[in-house]
Amino acid sequence: MEAQLARYLEAKLPAEHVRVSNLFRIPGGASRETWMFDASWHESGEEKVEAFVVRKDPPASLLETDREAEYAFYSTFWGSKVPVPRMRWLEPDASILGGPFFIMDRILGCESATRVIIAPPFTDVQPEIAQNMYEILAVISTFDWKGSPAARVAGAPTPETAWEQELGHWERIINEQELSPQPIMRGAIRWLRANPPPPAQRISVVHGDYRVGNFLYQADGSIHGIVDWEMAHLGDPIEDLAWSFNESWQWAKDGRPGGIVDRGTAIAVWERASGLTADRAALHWWEVFSHVKCQGIWLTGARSFQEGRTNELILPLVAYTLINGQDQYLLRTMGRIA
Amino acid sequence: MRPDPGRVLQGVAVNLLTNVMQEIRTPFGMQTVGIAGSLAMMTAEEFDRAADRLVSENRAVRAILNDGLPLVGGDTASAVSAAIATPAAPDFRVSSLLAENDAVRAGLIALHAGVEEVATPEARSMDERIWAELIESTHRREFASRLI
Repeated sequence: MEAQLARYLEAKLPAEHVRVSNLFRIPGGASRETWMFDASWHESGEEKVEAFVVRKDPPASLLETDREAEYAFYSTFWGSKVPVPRMRWLEPDASILGGPFFIMDRILGCESATRVIIAPPFTDVQPEIAQNMYEILAVISTFDWKGSPAARVAGAPTPETAWEQELGHWERIINEQELSPQPIMRGAIRWLRANPPPPAQRISVVHGDYRVGNFLYQADGSIHGIVDWEMAHLGDPIEDLAWSFNESWQWAKDGRPGGIVDRGTAIAVWERASGLTADRAALHWWEVFSHVKCQGIWLTGARSFQEGRTNELILPLVAYTLINGQDQYLLRTMGRIA
Repeated sequence: MRPDPGRVLQGVAVNLLTNVMQEIRTPFGMQTVGIAGSLAMMTAEEFDRAADRLVSENRAVRAILNDGLPLVGGDTASAVSAAIATPAAPDFRVSSLLAENDAVRAGLIALHAGVEEVATPEARSMDERIWAELIESTHRREFASRLI
């Protein structure tokens, strides 16, 4: 893949001899393969070196999302108060690397691992990280997206239909992807339809996977990159807040969102920074919904593996652990189990 | 087959997570080997219990469907009746038991949706019984060897 990347960059950069080195795939990236690499070339008599990330579509994955939309949402926030890596090239031609891909600048010197953030020395700066995490979410929630690249790729629901659009989308995915009946999720979907949330306060950019694990942080508690925008859309800003509380990402297993902050603090920071209100009924609705959405993701991965479209072992592991786990998390959110 | 298949898979997992893991040089490779080891342990657990879990669950769900059928009518009753009429698995292959499980659990979804629309105390009681079964179904699927 080094040679293919070098040839690709030679056509994109003002350079003739691009050298690609230190190419390696990073763990995770269950929806798109994520590879890191360095590129060096001569430009105007000087040697230049830059670090890049390439996100490549696999044959099958946990999610089947539109890379063009992900690229657009990243681009929307470049240069804003929401830190994101700079997008460089979007390539739909699958023949170059074996799948469509995009390349972005690599943010250096940061951690992203969930096991790191819940262990010393980062436990000392969890309050700062959490403060930054929910202040940045507030910026996303109140961002004026009209006229942005995101607006060109994402349809905007009305405040009254934001919930229905998302629920319908993920119910369709469960309908298409389930390998066996899902009676617990079906019960939740009926409850969600019978108890709709109040209209959204505004239609916002929704990151769609905003949680610990999808941002790059440093030991002083600062956050330097919000990543994984593949499920970004326009909708109710409460959706992201609720998603961040899902038990699937309570990494310390202590009931705290992300394993770094208590719910009350997270809500207070977000409300204060955004000027929006986390209506408790709306928050509960979106938390129940977050389990349905998670299950849609896990079921998609399970089917991909079952049908032989991929041999990525993360998919059956997620299926074996999280499909049943998500049912239990949902039952807890609905007050059915302690 | 002796050693038991579960023990064989446990041995595979131990080898992957100890001997092989330390030879791997890349983070992605280490993750893949770690996942393979975890899957071997979980598959070992499931191998031993799968038939028992499915037989128990199919029996429990069929009892609920039979007791719930008189509480619903129309299309719901037809769906529940169809699930009840699904032939029991012809053998003890896990694939056969799973096919029966899919059929009766589809009927359970129909019954659950149906009783939610009925306001009688009997329907409320059935609703709670179904939730209790669903909670129990998650316990049946828990892995002692779950690492994540």
